[in-house]
Amino acid sequence: MRFFRMLFLSMWAWTFAAQAEVPDHRVFPAQGERLLLWVAPERGRAEPELQAAQRLAEQGVETWSLDLVSAYFLPQLASSMDAVPPQGLVEWLRAAQASGKQVVVYAVSRAAVPVLRAAAALEPAERQRLCVMLMYPNLYTVAEPLAEPDFLGVGSLAGLRVQVLQPRRSAATPWLPGLLDHLVKQGATAGHVILENLREGYWMRETPTEFEIAESRRMDAMLLRELNQWGCK
Amino acid sequence: MGMQMKRWLWLGMLVLGLSGGAQAAGFETRPATPAPELKAQDLSGATKTLADYRGKVVLLNFWASWCPPCLREMPSMERLRVKMAGRPLAIVALDSAETADEVNAYLSKMKLGFPILLDPDGSNTKRWKVFALPTTFLLDASGRVRYVLTGPTEWDEGEALAIIESMLAEMPGKAK
Repeated sequence: MRFFRMLFLSMWAWTFAAQAEVPDHRVFPAQGERLLLWVAPERGRAEPELQAAQRLAEQGVETWSLDLVSAYFLPQLASSMDAVPPQGLVEWLRAAQASGKQVVVYAVSRAAVPVLRAAAALEPAERQRLCVMLMYPNLYTVAEPLAEPDFLGVGSLAGLRVQVLQPRRSAATPWLPGLLDHLVKQGATAGHVILENLREGYWMRETPTEFEIAESRRMDAMLLRELNQWGCK
Repeated sequence: MGMQMKRWLWLGMLVLGLSGGAQAAGFETRPATPAPELKAQDLSGATKTLADYRGKVVLLNFWASWCPPCLREMPSMERLRVKMAGRPLAIVALDSAETADEVNAYLSKMKLGFPILLDPDGSNTKRWKVFALPTTFLLDASGRVRYVLTGPTEWDEGEALAIIESMLAEMPGKAK
């Protein structure tokens, strides 16, 4: 009896510790079968992202919105994303998969780094059930003029399905083939979609174009469209 | 360990890391190495290469019409062109991965007297390994890259003008 009591307490303590590592996030509940894990960029979560998350939930896509800068109290820098401890995200992904819904992670800019690291840390069977959409991912380690680019190794992505959303109006667009090659070399299946007439972070620009303003307001529709067209299940 | 404590630890580590790696922004001096190939068409369809600017100091600016910092520095490049009239300085602005229509839409609002080249497929952007806009290369009269600047500046004053003047001063008497 004492053995079982100790075992129970150990399991409770372990479970609590694991849950404590899950970063704080906002939940937009929905009854649908899909669960979108939205990881905001290094600049933090912007209001249009929250509004889009709310509208996605209203359309049946449960959305968990994570702002790593806020959750880990980090400066708004790309390097902050590299400092995010992966274990918390691993537990977050597992908690999402435990919901029984089809999980798609949507990470923006440098937030791709901790997300991919977490995906690499999953068990192969867990990773194969995951779909990852990356909005203009920044995976550079070196991007100096006149020097070959170098991308960050995040670990094995074998079995992971990745779709890159790349705004056309970005200095990174000509380099997209190299980025996709890098993801494939890490074991992922990688595809991409070009988002025409948009710039990186179009929903948080100081001087957005009229088209960008309109697209910011229908970010939920864009994501639903891309999720449906991609068809990752 | 509490979440709040962990947050402070992470912040401390980051501050230490950032302070160790901080560098002043500005022009980056490069050992004089031959420039990559430049081959692009101007707005009239004529093909241009670096050979067209041989014997001049070249300011080669990679930009795009959707890039606010690029547009912010354009007037200063035009003022530099006027200031340097008659001296062996070529200002060349290569638009990265846009169509001629997109570039012309901008030029209808902003008159520029220096040549604009097009790079619709991004091939020059990739050869020159440009990852951010604007990026500007300063080439000496022998076609060697001497300075690189990532980000905008005021080209007709301060450090930018001083560097250009120093490069012109390296040339035989005609530059001064």
